[in-house]
Amino acid sequence: MKLLRTLLALLPLLVVVAVVPLALADAPAQLHGLAPLPDDQEVPHNLLPPGADDPDRGPSDVIFPQQHITIRFNHSKHLGGMIGATCKTCHALAYTSRSAQDVLLPKGVVCDSCHDTDHRDLSRVKPGDDAMGQCAFCHLGYKPGDGNRVAELEMPRANLLFDHRAHVDRNIGCAQCHGAVDQLELATRDQLPRMRGCFHCHEMSDSASRGQAKSACDACHLPGKSGTLIKTMYASGTLYPPRWLHNAEHTPDFVLRHKWVAADDSQFCSNCHTEDYCTDCHDGRVRPRNVHPNDYLNMHAIEARMATQNCQSCHRDQSFCLDCHLRVGVAESSPPDAKDSGRFHPPKSIWSDPPMKPGHHGFEAERNLNACVSCHTERDCVVCHGALGVGGGFDPHRNGFLGSCSRQFRRNPRPCFVCHEPTDGALAQCR
Amino acid sequence: MRARAAAAAAVLSVLAVPQRAHAMDADVTSDTAAQFYDVRSPTGETILSRRRLTTTLGVGAYNLLDTAPGDLSAPELSFRARVRYDADYGASGGESDPRNYAAVVPGFSPDVVDLMYAYLEGRRFLHGWLGFKLGRQYVTDVLGWWAFDGGEASVTTPYFFKVEAYTGLEERGGMPLSTPRFEADGIWRGDRNGYDPSLYPMFQPATIAPAFGVALESTGVTWIHGRLTYRRVYDTGASNVTEYASGLYAPAMYDGARISTEKLGYSVDADWADHGGAKAGVVYDFYAGEVTSLYGSLDAYLGQKVTVSADYDYYVPVFDADSIWNFFAGEPMNDVGLRTNVDVTDRLSLSGGANLRVFSVQTAPFDPGVGAAYSPYPNYTPAQNLFPTNGHPFDEGVNLSGRYRTGEMTVGLNGSGNWGQEGDRSGADVYVQRVFDTRYVAGVRAGLWQWIDKLQPDRDATSFQYVLTAGYRFAPNAQGTLEWEHDMNRLVGQGFRLLAMLTLAVTK
Repeated sequence: MKLLRTLLALLPLLVVVAVVPLALADAPAQLHGLAPLPDDQEVPHNLLPPGADDPDRGPSDVIFPQQHITIRFNHSKHLGGMIGATCKTCHALAYTSRSAQDVLLPKGVVCDSCHDTDHRDLSRVKPGDDAMGQCAFCHLGYKPGDGNRVAELEMPRANLLFDHRAHVDRNIGCAQCHGAVDQLELATRDQLPRMRGCFHCHEMSDSASRGQAKSACDACHLPGKSGTLIKTMYASGTLYPPRWLHNAEHTPDFVLRHKWVAADDSQFCSNCHTEDYCTDCHDGRVRPRNVHPNDYLNMHAIEARMATQNCQSCHRDQSFCLDCHLRVGVAESSPPDAKDSGRFHPPKSIWSDPPMKPGHHGFEAERNLNACVSCHTERDCVVCHGALGVGGGFDPHRNGFLGSCSRQFRRNPRPCFVCHEPTDGALAQCR
Repeated sequence: MRARAAAAAAVLSVLAVPQRAHAMDADVTSDTAAQFYDVRSPTGETILSRRRLTTTLGVGAYNLLDTAPGDLSAPELSFRARVRYDADYGASGGESDPRNYAAVVPGFSPDVVDLMYAYLEGRRFLHGWLGFKLGRQYVTDVLGWWAFDGGEASVTTPYFFKVEAYTGLEERGGMPLSTPRFEADGIWRGDRNGYDPSLYPMFQPATIAPAFGVALESTGVTWIHGRLTYRRVYDTGASNVTEYASGLYAPAMYDGARISTEKLGYSVDADWADHGGAKAGVVYDFYAGEVTSLYGSLDAYLGQKVTVSADYDYYVPVFDADSIWNFFAGEPMNDVGLRTNVDVTDRLSLSGGANLRVFSVQTAPFDPGVGAAYSPYPNYTPAQNLFPTNGHPFDEGVNLSGRYRTGEMTVGLNGSGNWGQEGDRSGADVYVQRVFDTRYVAGVRAGLWQWIDKLQPDRDATSFQYVLTAGYRFAPNAQGTLEWEHDMNRLVGQGFRLLAMLTLAVTK
């Protein structure tokens, strides 16, 4: 009991002896310069390069391949007031560089003046005396026993045409492309430019009279192996247009909607594709399986009738389709020797007799006339739809036809004479 | 004697002047496909045995002016051409013999050579203002695909627009080294050499088709782009207007220059950074006197990975003004759809959508025009009860696509379903393509599709198909592949197709 009281009396003293030295000791040193922000915090959007998405997905992996950075570096500390360095202090080469292939990282000797190291001979680098002069201070993973060896820095060159000097000469500051590196610690791929940021300036016509900030793809992208295309295949991946550029992201269903991109700006497509790429389908001789599945020959009639796809975007009815339909004997004007493929249309009671309902040729023709034109020559229809004296006299004209026929007659009277004799009274209304 | 000596001296002086070495780039490409398959009737009989060979040869020569590499202000001159040979060795000789009346298919040729394109292109001449193309070339815009022989010149201004003008002859089937692919539809036309003038009158003779066009297009800015385009094509020469062959008299002809097509179109697209984009286009046909195509598409970006879109497409079939089809009551189609794309990861994307295709049909007797005196022919039947009550029948459709790709492999799915009064079709393909060791190409594709023919019920079928592909890549742009396709359905039984392809490219 006495012992317990003694311990309790000494407790304050024990607390003082044990806690005060801990409180006075330095907190464990936090390593800086391992990421853009301490503890790899997310970089605020306003510090990222202009044009970065929000949330940011980083720059293109294809243009800026993945890096392996083995250096610890704190930009904000170096660029701050205490040290007073500028971008040019370490990256002077960037101010004169004409190519994205140039190495713009500072050499070790740039560090020597402050860190008391000696990188002049890289085979025998001499560390400094104090902590910040030790190899491990900057070179990640370095151990004293490693001698002169440090981990290799992997920083593949950008797959890009870029002239730093041209931009510097136009007074374009580093931050305009790289973001607020001065407020960050380690600069990573995330501090490399975003394509959309380039378009803040590169919005000019191809005409040379407006300066060099053209929006043409070949202003920045590497040329292809030949021709006027840009290079799209790299070891780091394949280049595809981003979603926000003409909304031309090559999604799995792009084949269904690419027509709108090409219709508006085919020159945009021709930066990456030659005519051959387009004509392989649009004037092709081998069925593209991503458009027409296997066994399409047997199922195409249903599709054509339903107009599921716009057949005319690749096939001309009165040549491609008609040729084959004549050969296989499915067309009315097929030669006598052509084999009989069987009747394509429903029986006469549905196809020709009233009333007009699904399955009746009048209904089907109004619904999708292209399907008729893919098999029938003009004569097949004139038999009945030609005016009396030429055909059966069943009027096929559209509603309001008389309102437009004189204009059509003036521009091209030829089709009128196919069904009407020149002396036909009905024709006089359109003359 | 003195003149001859002077000429010789001039030639020698030209030859003696040292020529500067050109840094010209050039490439030669070739694609060859051999296809072997049978076309069968719905009852399973072989109708055609197709033994096809298609081969192309392309040449390109670039940087003909030898400008400094990377000088984006320097003028640039290049030449590109591609010629194609397309043959069907399975065709019978009679099919292309105009004297074989039992077998000839007018316009058909078992072996066709065509010049797909051949043009000299200049860019950035006159300090970047002038561009041009001379030769056979394509024009692609909201008016569609088109090809012509002639010249095109464009002036790119520093004021964010360029002006383009072109003139020449439309590429037409039946003319030398030409195919009918890019001429307006509706006329069965071709080379009538060798045909008796009194026979096959509905097969029209090919003649030259003068054409011209102009366009005004925005340039420079990337978030918005528009193109206003106009084109007029003429039909010329004689055209048969007597559709029935008598064998005794030559058909009546219409002769003279006349409009083939005349269209004005405008297209625009705009993107709004992280939020979305829009596209729209319209085509007015001066011959038909109406808007024949109108589309609009709105995209909303929901975050980084999801895009939701709404589409509208209006289409009226129009044909060459020589054709009678323009006078037929072909009515517009209206297509409305919703779709979405999800980029699940950088490698995996899924797209899906649904659409309604709304057709138009008459529900009442034709009204030729208000107030117009019109004399319907005796066979004209105006009874109300002969017409459908619903003037806008519609079909429904859905589609689903997925793709997973790495550098060497692509795995994909393409599925769709369409249902309507005329028929249904639904099914899906799955495929895997892989390149092993950067050289060995392998692929498998399998599909299951069903179609229901509501106009001919005995033509319904379910089809299972697969394709096996093996190939070897000699070089990055050269490879040979062999494909084996096997189709099975109850109508034609077993169907096979063998496809051998060889792609070659040499680049300097």
